[in-house]
Amino acid sequence: MSQYKIIFTGPVGAGKTTAIHSISDLPPIKTDAAASDMAKSKKSATTVAMDYGVMNLPGGEKLHLYGTPGQERFDFMWDILVTGGIGLVLLLDNTRADPFVDMKFFLDAFNKFIGDTAVAIGVTQMDVSAKPTIDDYQVQLSGMGLKLPVFAVDARVRNDISILIQSLLYSLDPGLEE
Amino acid sequence: MDKSKNPLKVALHGMEERTSKTMVMYLQGPCRGAAVVVNDSDADVDVFDADVAGIGKLMDEHRARKPRRPIIALSLRDGTLDHVFYVKKPVKTDDMLATLDKASALLKKNQSVSAPTAKDSSVQPIVEKSENANLKSFVLDNDERKKTAKHQAAMQLNEKGFNAFIGNVAGIDVNDPKQFAAARYNPKDYFQGHVESAFKISREQGEIMQLNSSWSPVIIFPHNNEIWLDADDKQLRAFSGLVIANTLDGKISTTPLTFESSSLSRSLDKFHSMDAFLWKVACWASKGRYPISIDLSQPVYLKNWPNFTRLLITPHALRISALLIRGPRTLANVAEVLNIKPQYVFVFISAAYALGLTGQARRESDALLVQSTEIKANKNKGFLSRIMSKLRS
Repeated sequence: MSQYKIIFTGPVGAGKTTAIHSISDLPPIKTDAAASDMAKSKKSATTVAMDYGVMNLPGGEKLHLYGTPGQERFDFMWDILVTGGIGLVLLLDNTRADPFVDMKFFLDAFNKFIGDTAVAIGVTQMDVSAKPTIDDYQVQLSGMGLKLPVFAVDARVRNDISILIQSLLYSLDPGLEE
Repeated sequence: MDKSKNPLKVALHGMEERTSKTMVMYLQGPCRGAAVVVNDSDADVDVFDADVAGIGKLMDEHRARKPRRPIIALSLRDGTLDHVFYVKKPVKTDDMLATLDKASALLKKNQSVSAPTAKDSSVQPIVEKSENANLKSFVLDNDERKKTAKHQAAMQLNEKGFNAFIGNVAGIDVNDPKQFAAARYNPKDYFQGHVESAFKISREQGEIMQLNSSWSPVIIFPHNNEIWLDADDKQLRAFSGLVIANTLDGKISTTPLTFESSSLSRSLDKFHSMDAFLWKVACWASKGRYPISIDLSQPVYLKNWPNFTRLLITPHALRISALLIRGPRTLANVAEVLNIKPQYVFVFISAAYALGLTGQARRESDALLVQSTEIKANKNKGFLSRIMSKLRS
């Protein structure tokens, strides 16, 4: 049976672990460690390897959900991680110094994978920091020649993450039926 | 010379234990042992993660203690500081090796001259003095978090719930192509037109305004992109669906709000985002029809995806967006390609048009495009459909 997966990526504290938890049928396997440096200012633990969750589908199939390590130092693990992936969910933290730099960084880093599949962007913490707005993100993307789904999300809310993934799937194939 | 026989000794800063171990392996593996991680006291070169909070202070302290020790900074951004060699993330092995060579050369140069004292005035601060350089300044607004309606997750309607929630127009079958000409509406005849006009005035003037009618007043806060209304969805739906052009037009006005009035304490759960509010009002005015200014014979484009997680999601709205974002199409073509009732396309277009997200493609080339009635299916369509089914269950 084929192994399909969706990759969750984004900077430290953007909510990748929480988002996977929201949508997974099993408690996600977390590999958080005590945070230091920047991560410590954002949360008490940070993901240093990867998160894993799973959605059980009819017929016994599974959709695997992988979260990349939040710290963006290396890309060699990402290449391995995206193999067999059907799409990317990019989560951005709106309280970061410059979320647009983060967005560009991750879109560049996963450029080839996105080109082969699709990406949907969720912006977290908008109830803490309302700016930049979703429109501001779209302006930035437009400058990059991109038209991507960008939604305000609360990573704790299943419905938000569900809609984000639905937009990813429809980007792959608008012909999918509801 | 085999660099692995004489590796550069580096100390890591701003990295927690697990990442430090990964860095050790990275230098041993992909970097072929060109450098080895040692304790700070034994190091020739410092390697910092330049993107962590408080790193500026840490770098300054190191710089003061070891002014001649080369520094390598791994950074998301292009660096401009003197005495620092930047390696842009994600770290590429060739870049890292080249930078280690530069650091090594500088180390040799520095060792050939006497070390300056800590008071050497030539030593410049190397980063901005900011304890939290990576965090932007914002004030945690607890009130914002209590605006539950504004941050409420989207309601996703299915076909069964459409008529009950959106309504329909008696005497017209909006899904019959022969009746398409009658399946349009003028937003100006409805509350929608007044809301659009009031929003425009408020935004242009940058003033808090009040939309007055015989119904509950709508207070518009353009700077926060929010409105305040003391009414529930049921009441709003009823009022939005009424034709008021000939009955209330003279009684509706938009007026600036006095400072005293705008500063009044208001129930936080009655704040809504302007976009989500107008989107709903347009859906309820449309009732499955399309705006009068849309020419059915011409394609429409979608400027960008609506922020669906905070909007009322009408049936097939995500699919329609995914299709239209690829290129302009006529509304009938969208319905045909997706094999859905035209009313779902019309209501979506009405809401998106109200927010300025759609428009009529006016280029001659758009009209000349042959709009396919089929779309290429994804090779994993069956599997994707099963995921979709699970997500919507």
